[in-house]
This record gives sequence, structure tokens and C-alpha cells, in this order.
Amino acid sequence: MKLRIIFSIIASRLTRFGLRILGRGGTALPGKVALKICPDILRTLARDVKTIVITGTNGKTTSSRIVEQILTEAGLSYFANRSGANLIQGIVAEFAMHSKVTGKPKCDYAVIECDEAASVMVCKYINPVVVLVTNIFGDQLDRFGDVMNTLENVKAGIKNSPSAVICLNADCSLSASIAREIENQVIFYGVDTEIYRERIPEVSDAAHCIFCKARYEYDYSTYGHLGGFNCPKCGYKRPQPRVAVGKILNQSADSTTVEMLVDGETLVACISIPGGYNIYNAAAGMAVALALGISKDAAARALAGVESGFGRMEKLPLGGVSARMILVKNPAGCNQVLNFLSNMDGQALFVICLNDNVGDGRDVSWIWDVSFEILGTMGDRLSGVIASGIRAHEMALRLKYAGLPVEKLRVIPDYDQLIDAMAGQDKPVVIMPTYSAMMELREKIAGKYGLKDFWE
Amino acid sequence: MEIKICQLYPDVLNLYGDQGNIICLRRRLQWRGIEVQTIGLPVGEAADLCDFDIIFIGGGMSTPQQPLINDLYNGRAAQLVAAVDSGVTVLAVCEGYELMGKYCITPEGDRVDCAGAVNFYTRLGHERLTGDCLFECGEDSGGSRVVSFENHSGRIYLGEGVSPLGRVIKGYGNNGEDGTEGARYKNFFGSYGHGPLLPKNPALADFILQTALERKYPGCALGPLDDTLENNAHNFMLSRLEK
Ligand SMILES: [Zn+2]
Repeated sequence: MKLRIIFSIIASRLTRFGLRILGRGGTALPGKVALKICPDILRTLARDVKTIVITGTNGKTTSSRIVEQILTEAGLSYFANRSGANLIQGIVAEFAMHSKVTGKPKCDYAVIECDEAASVMVCKYINPVVVLVTNIFGDQLDRFGDVMNTLENVKAGIKNSPSAVICLNADCSLSASIAREIENQVIFYGVDTEIYRERIPEVSDAAHCIFCKARYEYDYSTYGHLGGFNCPKCGYKRPQPRVAVGKILNQSADSTTVEMLVDGETLVACISIPGGYNIYNAAAGMAVALALGISKDAAARALAGVESGFGRMEKLPLGGVSARMILVKNPAGCNQVLNFLSNMDGQALFVICLNDNVGDGRDVSWIWDVSFEILGTMGDRLSGVIASGIRAHEMALRLKYAGLPVEKLRVIPDYDQLIDAMAGQDKPVVIMPTYSAMMELREKIAGKYGLKDFWE
Repeated sequence: MEIKICQLYPDVLNLYGDQGNIICLRRRLQWRGIEVQTIGLPVGEAADLCDFDIIFIGGGMSTPQQPLINDLYNGRAAQLVAAVDSGVTVLAVCEGYELMGKYCITPEGDRVDCAGAVNFYTRLGHERLTGDCLFECGEDSGGSRVVSFENHSGRIYLGEGVSPLGRVIKGYGNNGEDGTEGARYKNFFGSYGHGPLLPKNPALADFILQTALERKYPGCALGPLDDTLENNAHNFMLSRLEK
């Protein structure tokens, strides 16, 4: 058995090494190789590592980055599955990479972003010390009931984590409901106030009480179905969070400053990544810090030093122009980007790159479910919109029907020309690409201006 | 002038950007100075369908959904039959399209009666027919070429008195066998082209609008619009599919 472990680890690392030599960021194959040789490998590798598992629909990657920064600030050694390979193979590969060939870990902690459905198996083998659930939303194709599937998967993962402290979003009626069914210690985090001045009307994924089906009432709402919910019929309501964002003091294109109430003590935190939904990720990070016994001041310092993840509000070098890239996959995520954009002070240029390769989804119909209409209300704060990518013309059409003045709209399908157009003006740029568009654009910008490889 | 549009079952049949069709119909009327009233009619909510000039029915996850079938049996089916027979313009796509026919046959072989407004039936299967689709409308539907995206597990077979909306050039269409796509009967338009079928097919959009206008304001014709962006999006897909 021992030999098998050693062989499994070595094989996994060799595979990864080979892929890197070929210049590829392959993240699943090394884990596949390790699992083939030793199916129980993850249990062995994770035994002496204190693992924080991060799951939920939106915000996994950014929350993981925040938790990493908190561990760094606290001077703890850790590794993370940064490349976003969040299924069991990718996670195994990451553990194999960060252990000695004997199976002993090189770090004390691991920050593991985990797919909702994979969390059942991953938690079973890893036995995490903390599980963070960011939120539960419907993806585009499963607006009809599959949200409950996601919830069940996440719940099953937690039930496989008997010794973990569970951090839950108090404002999400779906994820908060998990607390009723588990014995674990729970730390709730939430936002006590609205976060956007202007907001896109959205369809709620959870308008009705999960326990009795009555319609929730809200004291306030932040976005989607998140907010101060209560059920008038059965009394299920937003639990009182230990980490509560009380006030939004300042929101800019680069950061957000908030007042947080942590265990009754007020502190001011600057979050170095913008966007209303990242306030939640910051509060989640603070909750994880409490769970790990890390001081709130160290955690608050960490929030000011977070760099955003690959394609999540990621800052791009573009000559002298400030540019941020925000990956979009579904209408809910897309609406949040539009919320961010429409709440920005000062002028901005907005770019949408719509591809229809397999990784993006061949069907681009979903853009008609996004409330692009808000762009038409931004007036002078929107210096222009560029539609780009394989389906640039379809995107342009959507924007026309959304009421965007045609003189503000440019269609530039080609990415080289797009980069020149963005760099050749002086307004901050917000780029919203689909998956393959992001990869392609990133590679081209890397070629022109230099950029880290995504697996680093 | 005013056109009243009804979106039937927006609570359950509203998938893959179905909103695109409503947005398109509304804008193309407004740009011509015609006023538009849009009303969503959820399951169980009563209204006289003959009061509307255009009825749109979108797609859902699967057919038949029980609440919909119950709603049809509670008098809605008779209203839809009356609306189609009296020449109300109806656009139905995907599951909404299947629902307008006589009946569905489930994979288990059970027969489920549908609205019965148009003479066709649906055979439900497991294998989905998915991808870009190109078809050419018949002369009675304006004769334009239409680019769409289809994703359906049902197969529709047209009965007597109903003509196809068009002939398939690329893709599957009604059933992947007989080369037909969609259905035309009086002012009923059915299609498996889901979601935003109309925005990048402005000729079809205007043809449908014209039927509604003609019925309410006889002799009144739609004026031309600048369709540059519409045609760009259309032609991009056309050149991809004609390869
Ligand atoms: Zn309740």
C-alpha cells in the first residue's frame, strides 16, 4: 500500500511536469493518473492537512483567494487549487503536488475550491476543518428546480464533514437552511444593508419559503434572492450573523470600504477588489478567519491586499489604460457585472466578448435574458460599448434592442483590433467575456503586454 | 394604433431568451410609431385570448407539464382554438409549439391531449435534436431564410390542412425526417427555433407583425426600418450554415 501511494504521487507529478513542459495548464489529468494507481489516495494525502473547503454557486474562486490572503497574513503555510480545477481529480493533483513522496504534507493548511456536486466525495476523503458555502443560485439551464439539487449536494458534502466549522451566508435563504439539519458549529456572515444604488430587477431563485412554500418578505435585499428575508407563515428568517457588514462607506472602480460588525466589535475594512458581490466574499473570508481562530485585525488587513482571481475582476495590463476582466457564464452573473458597471463613478468603456464555442455554450440565447437595458440609462457615464467575439453581431443586436444609443455602439469581432481599440482610448475598461473569449483575449494581451500564466 | 401582445405562461414557458421575441415584436412596432401593450398571462389566470392581437408562447423544460395541461383542460384550450380560428396572430416555439397541437405521445406510449388548436401531433423521445438550424419559409410565410437554434426532444408531425413554416436546409426541423420545420395555419406560426428567433430574422418578424396589423387595421402596412445590425447578425449565421 505504501509503495502504491509513493508511486501514485510520483506519477501524478510527472504527468503535471510533462504537461507544463508542453506549455499546457492541464489540471485534471495528473489527478486522474494518481487516482488510477491509488483510489484512496486523497484520504492519505489530506490526513495531516487542515483543509478549508469552499463551495457554492458564485464567488468560490474569489473567496478562496481571500482566504489564502488571510492565511498569508497570519503567517500560516498553505497550498490552494488556484487554477480552478475544482473536481476531485484536480484536487487530488494539488494534494499530490504539495506532499512529500512519502505522503507527508509540505504545508499545514489547504484552501480547496470545490464544485458543489464534487463536494460529497471530496469532503468524505478530506475531512475538512472548515466548509464555506458562498451562496446557492440557479445556473441558466436549471432555473426549474435544480437549485434544490445543488443545495442537496452541498448539504451531503457537509454531512461528510463531521468535525468542520460551517460558514454560511445568512442572507441566502437556501444555504442558511442547511444549519437546521446539521450538528456542526455554524458561523453565519451577511450584509445588513442594500449594496447597490441602482439595481437590475432580477428573477428570484428562491421567492418562496424552503420549509412551507409561503412567499418570503424582505426588510431589504442586496441582489438576487439575498437579503433580510423572513417567512410570515412558519417564521423561518435570516439568522443573526456573527460577521455583519453594516455600512458601505465607499465604492470605487478599484475597491470597496465597509464597516463590519464582528462578534459585536466594529471595524473598518477596505476590500481591494471592487463589486458589490465581493462584499459577500470578504465577509465570508472574515467568517473563515473566526473559524480558524485568526484575529479579525489580521483578516481585515488581508482584505486590503487581495488580488482578484483569474478572470474575476482581474486587472489586466493594457498600456496605460485600467482594465478589468470579469468572466460571465449565466444571466445572474452577467447582471451582477452590469450592477457593478452602473454603480461606478466616472466614465467607463464597456466591452462584451461573446463566443459560442463548446466551453461557452453553443447556444447564445441567454443574452436575451440579461438586463442590458440598464446600459441605456447610464448616460455620459458610459463612454461607449464594444461588442466583440465570434458572435459580436448577435451581441450588437441585443444591445440595440436594449435601447443603447447606436452612436455608442461599436462592433469589433477581432480580438487584436479590440485590444488596440481599448488601449487607444483613456477611459477605464470593463471587459465581460465568455469562457473561451477570456482565454483567447488573455493570451493575446499576454503576448502584447505580458501576463502570468493562468495556472500560476 | 395599438397592438396588444399576450405572453402566455411566462411563469413556466420562458426559457433560453424567449424574452428576445417579445422585445423584438415590441420594439419593431414602437419604432414605427405603433403603441404596444404587453401582458403576461400566468398559469391559472383568466383572460379572453381573443382580446389580444398577438399571442406568444415560449419554451419550457419538458412537455407535457401537468400544471399547463390542467390549465388547458380548464377552458384555455377552447380559448386557444377560438383565437386561432378567428385569425389572432399566434407565435409558439418549442414546448409552446408542441402544446398547440392535438396531442403528445409520451416515450411510454401514453397519449396526452393538448390545446388542439392546430392539426399536428408530437411524439416525445429521449434523444435531443440540438444545434443551429437554417430553413426557408414557404411563400405563404414570406419566403425568407431563417436562422435559428433548436433543442428539442419532441418530434412534430403535421396533419392535413397545415403547411410547414419552412423547408429545412440545415438542421433537424419538426422531426429530422420529412424536411419540414414549423407550422402555418391561418395566422398561427409554430417553430422549434427557440429563444430569440425573431431578432435576427427581421423579415419573419415583420411578416408575423403584418398579419396582426392587417387583421386589426386592414390595408395598413409596416414601413421600412434600418435593419443593418439585424442583417449582420443574420448573415453571419447564414454564411456559417451555408458552408
Ligand atoms: Zn416558511
